[in-house]
Amino acid sequence: MAVTKLFGASVKRREDPRLITGRGNFTDHIKLPGTLFMALKRSPHAHARIVRIDASKARAMPGVVAVYTGQDLVDKLAPVPCAWLIPDSDLKVPSYRALAVDKVRYVGDAVAAVVAENRYVAEDALEAIDVEYEVLPAIVDQERATQDGAPQLYDDVPNNIAFHWKLHAGDFDSAWNQAEVKLSRRLINHRLIPTAMEPRGALAHYNPGTGDLTIWCTSQNPHVHRLLLSAVTGIPETRIRVIATDVGGGFGSKIPMYSGEMLASAISRDLGRPIKWFESRRENYVATIHGRDHIQYVDLAATRDGKVTGIRVKSYANLGAYLSTASPGVPTWLFGLMLSGAYAILAVHVDVFGVVTNTTPTDAYRGAGRPEATYLLERMMDLLARELGMDPAEIRRKNFIPKEQFPYTTATGLQYDSGNYEATLDRALELVNYQQLRREQEELRAQGRYLGIGFSTYVEVCGLAPSAAAGAMGFQGGLWESATVRVHPSGKVSVFTGSNPHGQGEETTFAQLVADELGVPIDDIEIVHGDTEMIPFGMGTYGSRSLAVGGTAVIMATRKVKEKATKIAAHLLEVAPEDVAFENGRFFVKGAPDRAKTFQEVAGAAYLAWSMPEGVTPGLEETHFHDPINNTFPFGCHICVVEVDADTGKVSFRKYVAVDDVGNVVNPMIVDGQVHGGIAQGLAQAVYEYAAYDENGQLLTATLMDYAVPKASMLPRFDVDRTVTPTPVNPMGAKGAGETGTIASTPAVANAIIDALSPFGIDHIDIPLTPERIWRAVQERRG
Amino acid sequence: MKISGSYTIRAPRQAVWDRLIDPQAIAGCLPGVEKLNQVGEDEYEMSMTVGIGPVRGTYEGKVRLANMNPPDEYQMHVEGSGRPGFVRGTGTVRLADGPDSTTQITYEGDVEVGGPVAGVAQRMLGGVAKRLVEQFFSCIEKQITGG
Repeated sequence: MAVTKLFGASVKRREDPRLITGRGNFTDHIKLPGTLFMALKRSPHAHARIVRIDASKARAMPGVVAVYTGQDLVDKLAPVPCAWLIPDSDLKVPSYRALAVDKVRYVGDAVAAVVAENRYVAEDALEAIDVEYEVLPAIVDQERATQDGAPQLYDDVPNNIAFHWKLHAGDFDSAWNQAEVKLSRRLINHRLIPTAMEPRGALAHYNPGTGDLTIWCTSQNPHVHRLLLSAVTGIPETRIRVIATDVGGGFGSKIPMYSGEMLASAISRDLGRPIKWFESRRENYVATIHGRDHIQYVDLAATRDGKVTGIRVKSYANLGAYLSTASPGVPTWLFGLMLSGAYAILAVHVDVFGVVTNTTPTDAYRGAGRPEATYLLERMMDLLARELGMDPAEIRRKNFIPKEQFPYTTATGLQYDSGNYEATLDRALELVNYQQLRREQEELRAQGRYLGIGFSTYVEVCGLAPSAAAGAMGFQGGLWESATVRVHPSGKVSVFTGSNPHGQGEETTFAQLVADELGVPIDDIEIVHGDTEMIPFGMGTYGSRSLAVGGTAVIMATRKVKEKATKIAAHLLEVAPEDVAFENGRFFVKGAPDRAKTFQEVAGAAYLAWSMPEGVTPGLEETHFHDPINNTFPFGCHICVVEVDADTGKVSFRKYVAVDDVGNVVNPMIVDGQVHGGIAQGLAQAVYEYAAYDENGQLLTATLMDYAVPKASMLPRFDVDRTVTPTPVNPMGAKGAGETGTIASTPAVANAIIDALSPFGIDHIDIPLTPERIWRAVQERRG
Repeated sequence: MKISGSYTIRAPRQAVWDRLIDPQAIAGCLPGVEKLNQVGEDEYEMSMTVGIGPVRGTYEGKVRLANMNPPDEYQMHVEGSGRPGFVRGTGTVRLADGPDSTTQITYEGDVEVGGPVAGVAQRMLGGVAKRLVEQFFSCIEKQITGG
């Protein structure tokens, strides 16, 4: 029987029928008898002292079981933890209470929790809580927040600077002094809202009899949440079970520990009843993390013939009102180390100020740090091309790290695993028909029409690992991944992974890997995730790491299974293990293929254990914890073609070509989907999405009517292609594809629009490039 | 957010003034007012249901009239809060004689909204505020002219 290899096959996602027909196990689907509902009273002020909270009216309402204020929980719940303690940065981590105690610091900061018999009563009771505030001046802009006289969020965070991280690699000063061309810019990478389709929520059930806490919640990393919940509640890890089987998207927003999950747990323990809490969309927009929000000062040094010799960046990263779980790592490790991108730039100086302001906390949002680095660099490359009158494609080619130099160590100390950057550029130029496009651009300009072509030749760091690197940068955890492969007596296989998909399709890709390794039908393989009681400690899904790190763990555990099964098969076949070959699910004697045992027969024998080889224990189950030797570095070239109506500022997308290199691909259909979704989100940052605050710290875009998540009709067709440069870092040669689209597309789109506007002498407009901003810029130039 | 505008009432200045500072007239003319109780000199407690964009809700608050300079000018301080958030504002209303026994009213003010309503409706607030003000003056005019 010929068995088709599944590696590289577009197997349809096995989880989708369940997820799209309402049969999933999302947190809000779980119902327990006796459940009480929790609702949170949130501050309408961005910065205020809490003078008094009177909950007596709410407590007296029929159906209300309890009302908690911050003061009530001070001894029952430790502050929300920050788990990324950037070293050598004078980091200050101010106390972040689940319910604010003395002050509120952003609109949405929770001040009281109501627990009631149903959600309607709980929400109504919020209105009956009387909170008296002494309103204080608020600060929203992170650069102004560092200046003298700005409102201070904390007594012990002077000038609102929570950390100052610097990395000075190479000799920028001499590069700058000797530079024939110097470019300096202030760029804004604005704030975004992750907008997972499923908001956050939890159902916490503390059993006073056993002392066990079971919590269903919306988590990308259930074990990390178990560890943190244990730390804040004092309940031992052995007594906490976190279940997050089906999670409706996250984009990073479901990594952190939040007040809602902590409060549900602590209150369930206090009352001995299950507590459910679920965000409304509006709460999700004010109280789940936001992303990006950097103000960047960039200096680029180059030679007259277009070689970049150094880059210096000073960035003000807006952390929001408190330090979320991983927030200090986003604008530092994931940003600063990537500032030379795909180019051989030998001097990189970066200073990052992490600043607290009266806004929703920020943390990792799809791409997390890398989009901020890539947009900055790709925008500057275009400005340099403009300054020198060079073609933007050629200036990139001139600065690329040549393919002969891989593995390549960057000025910032990263080792890029493998790459062939020119190949993606060449392929994209071909697909977009570049020379023809430039001619068309000239012709159209003569008619007063404005076509623009934008490039982004990005490289990103993913497969987030290794643990030692994470530790050196202050991450308070490892970045390995776990897998257990349990073969049942029938030969069917359960795979327990520490990765936790929330849309990525790992139930399909991981099963493809195991089916190939064991030669068993994919339908015989079950992928189990998202339940801390069932799987070994795992780190979770983020940073495009699940396949590169989690998938490798699965392969390694499967290979251990195969090794043991081979010994058992050899024993049954009465030959030495080295005389046994394994193909397509059959163990056979080398040279005598008819003398064989199927994988299923061997699995049965392992459990019967009537006759085992010496020193081999019964059963067939193996676990592997995989800590990679390095990250992986996907790369590619995206080209966007737009036409801009100079009279209205409207942008029409003509073409979008993405040539990515993510190494070997397990499931092309899933990678295409990731790339499409990623481009949609990155493009949205370039032209649509913008989390806007007024000067008092009120979020102006707190609904889906006001925050412009694109509809399908607002997006162009994506022409997606790939080159393949495998990584040596893992046995699959796979790099990761979850964030490439988001990272690459924002600068490609912005560069295209600016290119279209070049006849007006416009060389930069800050994103998002809305019709209004474009129209104003054109009007200004027209006078 | 700044709001400003003007309105012409077909009635003499003193008659307009008397109505503008009369709590019963105010209560009758402010759309959505459910109660207005005097709690001090020129100070009132009120409850008002307003829809701004898609957010409809009841605001409990206070209105205070200050710097009264009859019949030319006064200042109004309003603050209210409720489920949808809070509204705070300060405004100045000026009266001047217009032609043919009319009164020219000009107003200018600064309004701040916060909480959930700010995230939905702030950009519509200018339009809503202007409409509310015009409805108010138009109602006052009808009270005076009986029209």
